[in-house]
Amino acid sequence: MDRRSFLKQVTLWSAGLLTVPPVFDFTGNLAGAQLPDVSDIFVAKGKDIPAMVRHLVDAMGGMQQFVSAGDTVVIKPNIGWDRSVAQGANTHPDVVTSLASLALEAGAGKILVFDRPCNEKRRCYQNSGIKPALDAMKDRRVVCEYMDDRKFVPVKIKNGRSLREWSFYRDALAADCYINVPVAKHHGSAGLTLGLKNAMGVIGGHRGRLHMDLSPRIADLNLVIRPDLTLVDATRILLRNGPSGGSLSDVKIMDTLVAGTDPVAVDAWATTLFDLKPGDIRSTVEAFERGLGRMDLSECRIQISDV
Amino acid sequence: MGDRIHVAGKSDPTALSRTTRIRLRRARIAVQLICLALFLWLFRITEYTGADTIPWAVNLWFRLDPLVAASVTLATRTVVTLLWPALIVIAVTWVLGRVFCGWVCPLGTLIDLWGRVVQPGKPRAASFRFLKYAILILVLVASMFTMQLTGFFDPFSLLVRGMTFSIDPVIHFLVTGMFDWIYLNGPVWLSGVTEPVYDFLKAVVLPYAQQLFFLSMMSFLLLAAVFFLELAGPRFWCRNLCPLGALLALVAKVSPFKRIPQKVCSDCDLCRSACLMDAVDSHGRVRTEECTLCLDCLVFCPRDITTFRFTGPRSAPGMDIRRRQVLAAGLAGAALPVLTWTNAVSSLPDHRVIRPPGALPETDFLAACVRCGACMKVCLNNALQPLFLEQGVAPMFTPVLVPRLGYCEFNCTLCIQVCPTRALQPLDLAEKQAFVMGMARFDKNRCIPYADQTPCLVCEEHCPVHDKAIKLETVEIHDRTGQVVQLKLPYVVTQRCIGCGICEHVCPVQGPAGVRVESRSEVMDESYYSY
Repeated sequence: MDRRSFLKQVTLWSAGLLTVPPVFDFTGNLAGAQLPDVSDIFVAKGKDIPAMVRHLVDAMGGMQQFVSAGDTVVIKPNIGWDRSVAQGANTHPDVVTSLASLALEAGAGKILVFDRPCNEKRRCYQNSGIKPALDAMKDRRVVCEYMDDRKFVPVKIKNGRSLREWSFYRDALAADCYINVPVAKHHGSAGLTLGLKNAMGVIGGHRGRLHMDLSPRIADLNLVIRPDLTLVDATRILLRNGPSGGSLSDVKIMDTLVAGTDPVAVDAWATTLFDLKPGDIRSTVEAFERGLGRMDLSECRIQISDV
Repeated sequence: MGDRIHVAGKSDPTALSRTTRIRLRRARIAVQLICLALFLWLFRITEYTGADTIPWAVNLWFRLDPLVAASVTLATRTVVTLLWPALIVIAVTWVLGRVFCGWVCPLGTLIDLWGRVVQPGKPRAASFRFLKYAILILVLVASMFTMQLTGFFDPFSLLVRGMTFSIDPVIHFLVTGMFDWIYLNGPVWLSGVTEPVYDFLKAVVLPYAQQLFFLSMMSFLLLAAVFFLELAGPRFWCRNLCPLGALLALVAKVSPFKRIPQKVCSDCDLCRSACLMDAVDSHGRVRTEECTLCLDCLVFCPRDITTFRFTGPRSAPGMDIRRRQVLAAGLAGAALPVLTWTNAVSSLPDHRVIRPPGALPETDFLAACVRCGACMKVCLNNALQPLFLEQGVAPMFTPVLVPRLGYCEFNCTLCIQVCPTRALQPLDLAEKQAFVMGMARFDKNRCIPYADQTPCLVCEEHCPVHDKAIKLETVEIHDRTGQVVQLKLPYVVTQRCIGCGICEHVCPVQGPAGVRVESRSEVMDESYYSY
């Protein structure tokens, strides 16, 4: 099923023409999907976040590769916790605003930024610095709103191995371009939380119930959420006590951003920042096994540049 | 009101003109409506709005309330400086009489508005005025014995609680229910019209999120009773029951500002029959302590001779309560505290009574808390809930954390900020984050890794305390098929846990959580962990 027919179903459902909530199936068109011959990983190191983001996006061929004029773009940061920018539990606001600016330059019609936080959402949006930064852009096309409980739709995950069905956020599924902007940090049960785990922010339901078999289910969620672009914020990373953190003593400054179109490869490279191997993170392995991308870094083309 | 009748010899050169009379009365109504609007606005902004501090909150009304100030001072034996505005109300009442009741009190204004709807008859001959004094004496004497009963009778406690626990959630439920139904089931063009209206209402009128409270029905019925009594006569509550009105009446008794003439005219009974507060007694004398200066009599006087003037504190006729009634109320006020001390809960406190951050030790907390509901109103996770009878009658409506409904947000101090009586002690953020409300305990029969040998650890993820009050220990176990598997088991670091309840809140176990917070009263008892 493609996005167009999906939107049609949502419209019918919203109009009350379908009495039973439809179960969407996004997984059919995955089977035929082929990985490119090589997965590119772009790494920028430096202090100037806007310049690093621009450099990475340019290296990938520019934002127009991902965004066409009038597109609805979803930028999905991690706004999970009521923590300050320095505490490293959320995506850095400058990364988010830089991506939003580039998307605007590419002619985006609307840019939606949202996450489903673990702490009280207003506090997270505010203290992460993300909502104030986006509001300060003063552009009506940039919308940083809290997620609307009414917009979760059930999705059937046909080739899911641990998870067969879950509810997803409609705007995330319907986006013309989905940019995943996680923050890299330690996570008690998943090992690390990177790009793949960030999909947990666009799903409904009681997410705690996923933890009984967390890594396979993270991979299953990524069968549905297929980012066009993943950019991992590793400007500062939480080494311990993640995902919520809370102490600067657990934060290490890395001044690094990692980007790519292969979500598994980007996660695999980011894992090395923690002195771990890609295979140490089970969600990466599970995603690789589902054909979502490469995890062997020797099969990837890595470009590292100082900005 | 009727035609003006000019009677030679009775006219006063300083008498007010007809227009002035009407304007003064209108001014009173305008002030009432402004104060009601102020109350509603303060009620609405008693909420998280993006800033960590709330400069203004609905607690202003409790800080103005001399009944709260008196009972808290007596019960806690401390002077709570936060309550200084109550002195303004006392001073104004001493100078001008009960203007607070007639011009300011939002409950009084709401009762007046309601009175226009139900059109109560004239006040009945039988008077229950002694009751308000009896309630005042009961409350204050009980306060001397540290029992805090103000919250059951204080007009603002009744009003704010009723609005917080029942009226506000009901309005929100109905409005969002309607708009959500249209959004989910109506045609797209219709929700295109209704959603902007909904957004506007959300921004201006509605609370941010749907709050749900225990005791919603009970709080509603208590508040509704005040309005229901209006059927028995105008301002029935204010005249006969309100202990704040009684306290202000005692002060107004010596006020030098009096209604002139102080005795009704021999040929006219209007002052007596038309006064809504029934402030003119059967002998035709104006009872200064009952007059709320509503100024109705300026307008309805057919001779335009009524006025208000400083005449000096002439002693007025006696009180509306008899000596025996004073004695009975005082004895009741002394007896009730003893009944609470001899209740078995005093030696078996409920381990689920988890007080908000900053709460005084339990006995002092119960003495200081006036059950106003402001902390529960402002709690951004809807985690604070009113207690029912778990701890006996007296602590009813006091706030407790119910982690299964919501947890205490680590970086939030709003409840502390809105507490008018310092029952929640002022703490800065670092102190609040170290304040121990309770302690989490794992129930290994319910916790998933222990009970089902399945990974989970949602609690550990969410624990906000630095270096985690919930830690993991990796163990190798023989699972139930005999295989050796590695498993991460959570445990509580008791020295670090503050009892915020987020672990219990997010625990995926259905029904009672696998990790539950127990109250500080037990935790703080050192013998509890010395086994």
